[in-house]
Amino acid sequence: METFVIGLSIASILFIVALGLAIVYGTMKVINLAHGEMVMIGAYVTVLASKHLGLGIYSCLPLAFLVAALFGLAIERLVVRPLYGRLLDTLLATWGIALILQQLIRIHFGFGLFGIHIDGLGSDLQNVPVPPELQQTLHILGTNIPVYRAFVFGVAVVLGLVSWWLIYKTRFGSQLRAVSAARDITAACGVNDKRINALAFAYGSGLAGVAGVLVSGFMTVSPDMGAPYVIDAFMVVVAGGVGHLLGTVLSAGILGEVQSFVATWSNDVYGRTVLFAFVILILLFKPQGLFVSRNR
Amino acid sequence: MKNPDRRQFMKVLGVAAGGLAAPTILGSRALRAEETIPVGILYSLTGTTAIVEKSMNQCALMAIAEINAKGGVLGKQLRPVIEDPASEPRTYSEKARKLTIEDKVPVIFGCYTTASRKAVLPVVERRSGLLVWPTWYEGEECSKSVLYAGSAVPNQQLENSIPWLKNKLGKNKLFIVGSDYAFPRGMAKTSKTLCAKIGMEVVGDEYLPLGHTEWASMVSKIGSSGADVIFSNVVGDSIVAFYRELRNQGYDFEKLPLCASTTTEVEVRAMGPEYAKGSYVSLPYFQTVDTPQNKAFVKAFKEFAGPDSVTHAAMEAVYTGVHMWAMAAAKAGDVSSKAVVGAVGGMSFDAPQGKVTIDSQNLHSFLTPRIGKARADGMFDIVDQYSEPLVPLPYSSVGETADKRVCKVSGAAL
Amino acid sequence: MKERTITLAAYFLFFAVVFALPFALNSFWTNRIAVYLVYAICAVGISLSWGYAGILSLGQGLFFGIGAYMISMSLTLAMPDNNPVPQFMLLNMEPNAPRDLCCATPGSFLWQPFQYLSIGVLAGILVPCVIAAVLGYVMFKRRTSGVYVSIITLALALIGQMLIINNQPLTGGFNGLADLAPLSVGGIEFDPYGKSVYYLVAAALLVVVLLSRLIVSTRMGHVLKAVREDDARVRYLGYNVENYKLFIYCFSAAIAGIAGLLFAVTSEFASPSLMSTSFSISMVIWAALGGRSSLLGACIGALIVNFIGSVASENVMLQPVWPIVLGLMFVLVVLVMPEGIAGIAKGWIAKLRQPRSLKEVVQ
Repeated sequence: METFVIGLSIASILFIVALGLAIVYGTMKVINLAHGEMVMIGAYVTVLASKHLGLGIYSCLPLAFLVAALFGLAIERLVVRPLYGRLLDTLLATWGIALILQQLIRIHFGFGLFGIHIDGLGSDLQNVPVPPELQQTLHILGTNIPVYRAFVFGVAVVLGLVSWWLIYKTRFGSQLRAVSAARDITAACGVNDKRINALAFAYGSGLAGVAGVLVSGFMTVSPDMGAPYVIDAFMVVVAGGVGHLLGTVLSAGILGEVQSFVATWSNDVYGRTVLFAFVILILLFKPQGLFVSRNR
Repeated sequence: MKNPDRRQFMKVLGVAAGGLAAPTILGSRALRAEETIPVGILYSLTGTTAIVEKSMNQCALMAIAEINAKGGVLGKQLRPVIEDPASEPRTYSEKARKLTIEDKVPVIFGCYTTASRKAVLPVVERRSGLLVWPTWYEGEECSKSVLYAGSAVPNQQLENSIPWLKNKLGKNKLFIVGSDYAFPRGMAKTSKTLCAKIGMEVVGDEYLPLGHTEWASMVSKIGSSGADVIFSNVVGDSIVAFYRELRNQGYDFEKLPLCASTTTEVEVRAMGPEYAKGSYVSLPYFQTVDTPQNKAFVKAFKEFAGPDSVTHAAMEAVYTGVHMWAMAAAKAGDVSSKAVVGAVGGMSFDAPQGKVTIDSQNLHSFLTPRIGKARADGMFDIVDQYSEPLVPLPYSSVGETADKRVCKVSGAAL
Repeated sequence: MKERTITLAAYFLFFAVVFALPFALNSFWTNRIAVYLVYAICAVGISLSWGYAGILSLGQGLFFGIGAYMISMSLTLAMPDNNPVPQFMLLNMEPNAPRDLCCATPGSFLWQPFQYLSIGVLAGILVPCVIAAVLGYVMFKRRTSGVYVSIITLALALIGQMLIINNQPLTGGFNGLADLAPLSVGGIEFDPYGKSVYYLVAAALLVVVLLSRLIVSTRMGHVLKAVREDDARVRYLGYNVENYKLFIYCFSAAIAGIAGLLFAVTSEFASPSLMSTSFSISMVIWAALGGRSSLLGACIGALIVNFIGSVASENVMLQPVWPIVLGLMFVLVVLVMPEGIAGIAKGWIAKLRQPRSLKEVVQ
């Protein structure tokens, strides 16, 4: 039972990161290898805000969203838009951006070169204080559920609902779906597809930033923390199929649980190996993903 | 905002300038490049291990500055040649080659992980170089081109702690957990042999990949194993996630003690001292070691690198290594690798941790095992320490004892 | 001058410089440039599969690493103190296990054939080829799209890396294999810091480039270029696109394997870090910078990026900035120089060969 709960919380983080990636990939077919760095930025926003502004985790959630969204907007405008249509090149360019962002943190955004150190940046490990109410453990039905993990799950559910509302119940969302399905016709109908692209990219990056805040509560914050997230998130996205939000939810859930159960029964290394092999098989035999969207 | 780097740079500049200016002031001719001895400094300044290695780099520079202030080695000043291997074994190999072959350094002070040391070994062994290796590790090595100064081997971290956990804390069921590679596995092997000898039961021996940060399943496994004490050989980033997860799942170090082999002041600060409070660590050195040499060392380093810096075991080993190399070279009258190795056996140094002596057969160090208990302020209270340094047995995992040595002058007799 | 002559001249010039260099270099730089040439071989493979066939493999590190490991196994066993069983295995085996390769640690029998150097070399070329063949067969027959191919190759390299790290008693684990004897063939010992190894690598590069050039100038090359542009059309014209792609993918995997073999010979170790994502992606950048559709360009790109990288990281001022420069290089090459240096060079040559301005022609 505890394994299941753990799987849910792994799935929650996966889901938030993957959702951002899915929205971007679904709209623009772009693989953003700097997505993991958005998680890192969210984590560093939390570190800096707690050190210099005294903000707690709750306030950092929207703050990180905004900051990461702004970074996303900049990346989209400067790098992704000029490369529109050249998917493989976008992949490489975003990897370059990821390298740059990592090193910028290490050199304190350039100030380090002049001997100025900003507390909270640099190559050292950072940590974030977690409010005491989140450090408890609940004992429900004989299982131990750490409150922090329940919190993460809660945030994931909220973000999922908000995103669902955004995509299916707002005008912006219907424009987004139209652009994903048939870009040229939508543009011909007068929708500014470039603006949609930018906003989708920003929203996706913002989500990753929120994931970063949550992650900083139970892991070290360091410049290289972002890289594993983009790979795992991409696995979730392609496994789940990009057309439907539910696909991402289920896929994150399944992959999270698979990882948790394999980890409990055998070595966790094989957990990841099995996961990757599983995803490779999905990509080969069901490239549309496990859950094909109904809107095609 | 602080300027430790600028201050450090000024310090090095100042000492170097002072060292260089002194002969001129005293009337001798100005020093030319041939009058300095280049020494290689090979610690990562970028990449994943830079977190710890940067401080080792600074410590080496401080030790070199101290030696230069006292006149250098064999009348010549030491000139550090700094390279950044960026936490990549490939780059370690490349830079080690540059230092040994192109810059012709007689010694490299470098490496933190075994992977990096293995990549550098072929270079120093085949090109008559010398590596001074500072980190505690799994042993199982016996190179005549490496000076294992201050680098503890498993028996020096486990012979004190495992029996202490049984006798002092009354624990009997041990769960060994670690990151998946040579060091934790080597430690586990030696631990199991020790446990068998003293009658402790090992209820778990589990590993998670290096850098892995999802510890929920493992902590849950520990809980359900019935263990009453944990020995952690978890390394690096995983340490923080592990300790935090223990707290998040409600574990308490009073009821389920934990003794670690690789959690230093750096990791405690990274995770937040409240998460480490009450846990134990077995290492020969802590910043709180009470010797006059250590007090001077800590003071000097805080001046060199900034008041917020901590001193930790790997750094202290670097400091010891640099000084012992200099002493051996002075004694041999020659900085070449062979001469230094020949002279360093049996040599002792008053290191910050106490007396450190180099064993002439395996070039490892006699070190003083200690157990520290983490405090709320991020430092350690020393709750146990040996009165005499303990012999290094790099092959304890395959049954080496002080009387039956594996490492001979000619190499390892496995 | 015809374009063909210019190309020929460029190749000739390049190899002339490569073969003449050791006479101007000391042993350290000879070895260093030899390593760069190894990277150049790898880049040629990438240029072939990406530039000509449109297959962007982000997991070439897997094949490179396999090549390095295969020969390292033979070189490990060639060291006297690694017989009958390598030292790292002795330290990892159960206390009662026999000291024989057949059964010292789980899977150690796989080491037995590697007592012969030729097996190590052949395995280093063929094993990557076979893996690529299997993977490629499934991928291309199912018409997997380009982006997914990239992600699949990336995931496969990660799996390979994890399997190696997790099987320490068999592979040396995270530390890799570092206790290697120098390569010794027919009595000639190849010193990594000597001219012998340098010329070995240079010769291999020459052979690889010639073979690739041959493939590209045959009909296959033209078909592949067409495939890169629009594979549906080529299929309609009756060509079996999948077979062409498969062949090129296997060939580029074999090339990466050869590069890996030579890496172990020049750098004297093999490690799972060779299969890392960032290393694989940097290989792609070497080819991209040099010109992904130009074999010579890919060689030059690899040499330039690695040379600048070494020099920059050894400069105290540039050390903290180098990763940013590298990242910018990724971005700018892709944004501004999609055809790389070769593309720029071709542009200049085309301009030089243009007739005089219309005014002059008319007058």
